[in-house]
Amino acid sequence: MAKSRRSRRPRTTLLLLVLASVTIITLDARGGFHRITSGVKSVAADAFAPVRSGVDGIIQPVGSFLAGSVHYGAVRQQNQKLQQEIDQLKLQERSAADAVQAMKQLSALLNVPFIGNLQTVPTEVTNYGTSNFAATIDIGVGRSEGVHLGMPVIGAGGLVGQVVQANHGSSTVRLITDGQSAVGATFGTPPGSLAVINGEGAGKPLDADLVPTNTTFTVGQQFVTSPIPGDVYPAGIPVASVVSFKTGTTASQESVVLKPTADLAHLRYVSVVLWGPSS
Amino acid sequence: MTARDVARVGLVVAAFVTLQQTLVLDLRIGGVHPDIMVLLPIVAGIVGGPARGASMGFGSGLVADLFLPTPFGLSALVGCLIGFGVGAATLPLDRTAPWLPPFAALAGSALYEVIYAVLGSVLGQPQMLHVGVAQIVLVVSVVNAFLALPALRAVAWSLRDVSTEGVPTSAVSSGAPR
Repeated sequence: MAKSRRSRRPRTTLLLLVLASVTIITLDARGGFHRITSGVKSVAADAFAPVRSGVDGIIQPVGSFLAGSVHYGAVRQQNQKLQQEIDQLKLQERSAADAVQAMKQLSALLNVPFIGNLQTVPTEVTNYGTSNFAATIDIGVGRSEGVHLGMPVIGAGGLVGQVVQANHGSSTVRLITDGQSAVGATFGTPPGSLAVINGEGAGKPLDADLVPTNTTFTVGQQFVTSPIPGDVYPAGIPVASVVSFKTGTTASQESVVLKPTADLAHLRYVSVVLWGPSS
Repeated sequence: MTARDVARVGLVVAAFVTLQQTLVLDLRIGGVHPDIMVLLPIVAGIVGGPARGASMGFGSGLVADLFLPTPFGLSALVGCLIGFGVGAATLPLDRTAPWLPPFAALAGSALYEVIYAVLGSVLGQPQMLHVGVAQIVLVVSVVNAFLALPALRAVAWSLRDVSTEGVPTSAVSSGAPR
């Protein structure tokens, strides 16, 4: 009898924990409780930020060493290629290449005509996604700099994503390549036709919805954020450019493959646009 | 569990989350980073049995969820299922066998990532099944198999005074035969 009760105990524990988890997930999906979990996440991120930067400072060299070991083959190949370039071009400033790249991104950020008079907060990308299942980045500005949930984020070239978590001194941005991202856009001669650009996952091309069949494009043609009032992005920001398109025989819409106009794979600096749909 | 036991478990979870959020996030293999938080319920299941595995999975999963953009509570749900499963599956086995932790970490991590993607998809995030799950499974499970023994030592230390099912934690942590 006692043995049977003992063997039932782990199952009871599991049942209770599963029920607790399902309750938390269900409540989080509802608006009210989500604000609480979002607040707790924000407090945790703010509390953890100094720990992260402190530990980063200590173990970053170790991480770089390990990452270098993992990518040893690629690093060696890259080194050989760089060596050849040095021989050919007789350049002395090889170590400045990284800085030049950063400088280019910063300069491009200072000159973003598509933003017009809207106020922006430039910042550095601090983290490239905490989950393998979502395309997000962490940035170094938050509520203390006027950043709020839903604000658009741009990089050199165009739209990067949207703030989905605003902490005190940092924020999480969902990239336009994330599977949860959908951006209202226009293409063609103004006022243009409307479409929705969907993310398909980090590193994957974007895809456009609602494009009528037999629409013709030119490769490289740009899609920009739509001017529909109340949309989550200000109008006219470049989002993506056409890579390929085709119409299936029985398709009800054109199949369009796009790539983001901003280089999302090498983001180092971005700007948050201090803008909301009511602006 | 005494306050000291809770503090020890908290310390191990804090150490794992710190490592995950700093060093491990920078270790990208084919764009995928390892996930050492998955190891906690697996090794707790080996050390402490199904109930301890489930409890560790729930607690460490909630902590992990604080830093993830995926649905809050999902890691806790999958963590407690995997912790329980590993604990139950290893109960009849010799849990001091050196091959067991790496093998359990390999299989448990793979199962964790698959269940995580499927449940995430069911919970309204269908893209979680289309982000290269096979690659994520491969990277996370292989790295966790290599890290299973040190993780087992850490969790065995944190649970050393806690009653467990089947095998004394001291035997597991020292590798001594039963």
